[in-house]
Amino acid sequence: MLLQTLETFWLWQFLARLHPLMVHFPISLLCVALVLELVDWNRKSDKLRSGITIIIWIGTLSALMAVMFGWMLAGQGDYGGDSLEIHRWSGISTMVLATLALLSLKYKRLPLYRAFLIVSVLGVSFAGHYGAMLTHGDDYLSSVLPFHKNQSTPASATPDFLLANNGETLTPKQVEDLNIEVRTILAHNCYSCHGEAKTKGDLRLDSKDAMMKGGENGVVIIPNHADKSELIRRVSLPSGHKDAMPTKGKRLTEKEITLLRFWIEKGAQWPEGKMKSIYRVAALEPRTPVVPAPTANLSKPVDLFINNYFQKNKISWTNVVDDRTYIRRIYLDIIGLLPPPEKVDTFVKDPSTDKRETLAKELLNRNDDYAQHWMSFWNDVLRNDYSGTGYITGGRFDITKWLYTSLQVNKPYNWFVKELISPGKQSEGFIKGIKWRGTINSSQRTEMQAAQNVSQVFLGLNLKCASCHDSFISDWKLEQSYAFANIFADTLLEINRCDKPTGKMAGRKILFPELGEISVDANTEKRLRQLADYLVQPKDGRLYRTLVNRIWAQLLGRGIVEPVDMMDNEPWSTDLLDWLASDFAANGYDMKKLIFTIVTSKTYQLPSASVKEANDIMANNFKFTGMVRRRLTAEQFSDAISTAFNPMYADSAIVVKLLPDNTRQKLPFPRAGFVKNDAFLTSLGRPNRETVSTSRTSQANLLQALELTNGTKFTETLKRGAKEWLQKYPTSDLLVTVLYRKALGRNPVTKELVVAKKILGPNPSEESIQDLVWALTLAPDFQLIY
Amino acid sequence: MNKNWSRREFLQRASAATLAALAAGAPVSNILSSCKGIGRMESSSDTVILLWMAGGMAHTETFDPKLYTPFEKGMEGNRVLSTFKSMPTILDGIQFSEGLQSIGNVMDKGTLIRSYVAADMGHILHSRHQYHWHTCYEPPQTVAAPHFGSWIAKELGPKNPVIPAFIDIGQRFTVGEAEELKAFHTAGFLGNEFGPFFIPDPSQGLESVRPPVGMDAKRFEKRNQLYNELINNSPVGEFGSDYQRESLKRSMEQAYTLLNSPESKAFDLSTEPKESYNIYNTGKFGLGCLLARRLTEQGARFISVTTEYEPFKGWDTHENGHTRLEAMKKQIDGPIAQLIKDLDKTGHLDRTIVVLASEFSRDMMVEGKPDAKVLEQVAQPDVLSDPKFYGMHRHFTDGGSMLMFGGGIKKGFVYGKTADERPCKTIENPIKIEQVHQTIYQALGIPPETQYEVEKRPFYTTPDGKGKAVAELLS
Repeated sequence: MLLQTLETFWLWQFLARLHPLMVHFPISLLCVALVLELVDWNRKSDKLRSGITIIIWIGTLSALMAVMFGWMLAGQGDYGGDSLEIHRWSGISTMVLATLALLSLKYKRLPLYRAFLIVSVLGVSFAGHYGAMLTHGDDYLSSVLPFHKNQSTPASATPDFLLANNGETLTPKQVEDLNIEVRTILAHNCYSCHGEAKTKGDLRLDSKDAMMKGGENGVVIIPNHADKSELIRRVSLPSGHKDAMPTKGKRLTEKEITLLRFWIEKGAQWPEGKMKSIYRVAALEPRTPVVPAPTANLSKPVDLFINNYFQKNKISWTNVVDDRTYIRRIYLDIIGLLPPPEKVDTFVKDPSTDKRETLAKELLNRNDDYAQHWMSFWNDVLRNDYSGTGYITGGRFDITKWLYTSLQVNKPYNWFVKELISPGKQSEGFIKGIKWRGTINSSQRTEMQAAQNVSQVFLGLNLKCASCHDSFISDWKLEQSYAFANIFADTLLEINRCDKPTGKMAGRKILFPELGEISVDANTEKRLRQLADYLVQPKDGRLYRTLVNRIWAQLLGRGIVEPVDMMDNEPWSTDLLDWLASDFAANGYDMKKLIFTIVTSKTYQLPSASVKEANDIMANNFKFTGMVRRRLTAEQFSDAISTAFNPMYADSAIVVKLLPDNTRQKLPFPRAGFVKNDAFLTSLGRPNRETVSTSRTSQANLLQALELTNGTKFTETLKRGAKEWLQKYPTSDLLVTVLYRKALGRNPVTKELVVAKKILGPNPSEESIQDLVWALTLAPDFQLIY
Repeated sequence: MNKNWSRREFLQRASAATLAALAAGAPVSNILSSCKGIGRMESSSDTVILLWMAGGMAHTETFDPKLYTPFEKGMEGNRVLSTFKSMPTILDGIQFSEGLQSIGNVMDKGTLIRSYVAADMGHILHSRHQYHWHTCYEPPQTVAAPHFGSWIAKELGPKNPVIPAFIDIGQRFTVGEAEELKAFHTAGFLGNEFGPFFIPDPSQGLESVRPPVGMDAKRFEKRNQLYNELINNSPVGEFGSDYQRESLKRSMEQAYTLLNSPESKAFDLSTEPKESYNIYNTGKFGLGCLLARRLTEQGARFISVTTEYEPFKGWDTHENGHTRLEAMKKQIDGPIAQLIKDLDKTGHLDRTIVVLASEFSRDMMVEGKPDAKVLEQVAQPDVLSDPKFYGMHRHFTDGGSMLMFGGGIKKGFVYGKTADERPCKTIENPIKIEQVHQTIYQALGIPPETQYEVEKRPFYTTPDGKGKAVAELLS
């Protein structure tokens, strides 16, 4: 049954395609009927009535047929979206209205009939308009209006070729720009089927020669003759036609087709020499922008760059947050813990003007606390975990000891990277990847994993597509991925395209040859040393931009570039990003210094920004106004419960064996970053670290709420803690005050005290303490960083 | 809506439908961008129950029996194709291995597939084949591949908003290879929201959906009230709303609703009539089937019930295959047949697909595929000196049986065939995992081109969106 209806019978298909023909009957007939009716109305006669009746009859019947055919067409075509639904239902309404008009006419309800007729005509126009949008594109009508703003222009500062050129020859610059536009259209719409990976109809459109050669049906482009070019014919055909292209996905817009036509008319030209990329490619080399002159209130470079950015975007500075907000923020950001209440009090009372800088320094100097917090971030990024796939069969190695020590001694980032790429025994886990038992797809081999992970983590670029076929989203080619992966390989890998061996080999080459040449014949150890040396050179600005952007995103809730793994995307402030990276290099690649620079800026101290939707944070038009409000990570939340109330984890849960000697003594309590992942931490967003994971979502969800509402881990902690607290704080006033101070770094306000005491009564019980702590720690005040 | 209602009253009165509408309207967003223009297709099913035969179920010992050869000391292993007799089923000419007569008697309600071919992944690792079966992708993957159930949860959402869309019954993660199991029991890049709700022990199902142990309903309600009052009275409220704050509050509200809903009773097996309970009570798996039935009746979307994977346990028979399988069959035969009958009686089977599957099959002699043998992992002598060697102990990937019932699947139908002589490999209509998935997606109305962009790369429900539904399986 199901399949028969899906595989459409030819007659239904045929009838469905009559819809565009049929719709014109109700449109014209109902309009004519109304005009005639208005004439009659005006003359106060009914001479035309008998004719009108026939017209409305035919109009209504044809509307009925149009609706039926239309329904079929919607079911089989590539239509979809809001326009379709609006069209569908307005079409049906029109048909109903016309029927009602007919009925009222039959029963001589003249005013009612006229009203229905008028509404039907409005309806048919409305439905018709949306129908036209489906066939011709949303902006078919509006695009020719003088005040229409063109939103689909792909690149900025594109000359309008149609106006700029009246039969004159194009300048080389124009040839290049036009060619880029054309390639952009082809890349987005055609490459996936007519490229290197898939070559349907034996036609490739991703290079000049292949394109001009044509496919199995002959040439597709005849220069100077757009009308005779098969390519133009195909993309111009209505959707549903068997020759129409593209067969999948959205159709080309009129504007895109016009551009393609124009390009062919102008001789389908390709620029001389090296072709410019159609993708945005970030600069590789570092850049040190000039720091703007200090103003009356601002002197720090970060703030001065932000000041420029604010001015450009008409954003005004607001007052920095108060001491309590700042100390909570900076504690959580630098060492991942809540500030102890006494510390908060002293800090608030401290009259000195540089106390925030002093505090930042003090926290950064707490080497172990700092390492313990940042460990979780780097574990995610470097795919390091205490348990996971691969360990069981010796196919994976952890780098925990190395990582902890590196963070604890604040290893300069260039060394940090070097030791991961050209590793010793303790840090080899990162490039060794995860090896599952059995045969592995070539694109998942550990050497390819190394290539993918090194490029993602350190260079912010995505090699995953290009390790299977030439990328459709960047210029990276399959061969380049293999050449890069081969640096990690003892024996050269055979290139596989979409898991099929090609018999070809790539050499050994770094992704950016300008960084240096890999000695093809050197042994792996030596090659890796070379690679590491090349990648950490000062002239590899990309490496350092990627890092400073990651740290910025950690501290301010959103990167200067997003996603943080796609460093070719446009930063919201190029100057700020470039300056941070060059300052980072100038300071000896000191990660703590970088954090200090950021957290002591006025920018960091701005009130947190809220967004309405999760998507707003990642949106292209994101405007920075201050730190984006964040949720405590799984580890921060767990540690906050441990310090504010009662330890979440027992000593025995710590992965002591994996840690450097004596680390246990340096942990103030069993911190959640040092236990194996479990249901509680997973539900709060700790990733399973099977793949590189560079950001966590702060979206709450049902499974997580269930874990917090009745999960055993949290419930048991509440029970344990309540027992102790009842002994320590026998009166409700005292208990509530201590709890608020520990959990939120402030005293409860009167209203809160009243609410809390409602549940505790004058003397708390174990149960009521559990409930109060539960409610308070799950509230947004506790869970969010403001 | 009467504004004077307290939220509690509102939630109590609100029907599942209004809650669904609220949930749909709620800005639950994520960073994924979906491909445009994909709608739903016509569907014949709303719910999926996966009955997972963990550890490799030998087809020749279950749903595709071959010539029976009783044990004799010193016999040649190569002579043994089945260690059980064949018994008739309700379908003419179709026989099942002894011990599966109850399932045999409900085969008029479903389809028997005798041609599942597992992937060729070299050296056998159960969890790797299981990963492949459940995600349609071979591990390792560069992005975290979602579980089959997570795709369905993501695409269709919960059927009843107070029942988690993806429920996983019976698997503990404290066993060997647990990490490998965890790697695919996840929503992957789709986000935790669509991940499995675990009920490792079905008899303890209620504990996952009721207030914490020792907390009565009144206290539970008061605690929730306190939570809301604290939020409303906090000075931070002045910061205004934002999505994090709102999504936190909303998720807590949903949890509260679920734990307080009448539907949560479905998780409590003690309310099942004794007679029925006893039929299902063959152990953890049988009770899992019962729980699956009860949850289906209340509007679950995807439920997986497993015999539980633990190395060398359950279907993972490296020795004593014959006797071990007797026990396994006792565990599954009654409950599965009863599940089908019960769902059929209440009409739920019309819109529920029940699938029985295993990661691969087993054979006494061949490890891997006949033409692509892999490293042998089982010490299986050519001559059987001891009954412990009598059984299917090697891992066989070139044939396997599956069952499918309900939700638009053909009734009384047999698809595919394996050879009657060793190697008993698939010789007709081979079916692979992407076809299995896509057939089920199709029945659920999820189009084959369903995909999300992860790191700008399209990631489809089946690799490259190439999985084709097997039309013959659908009525």
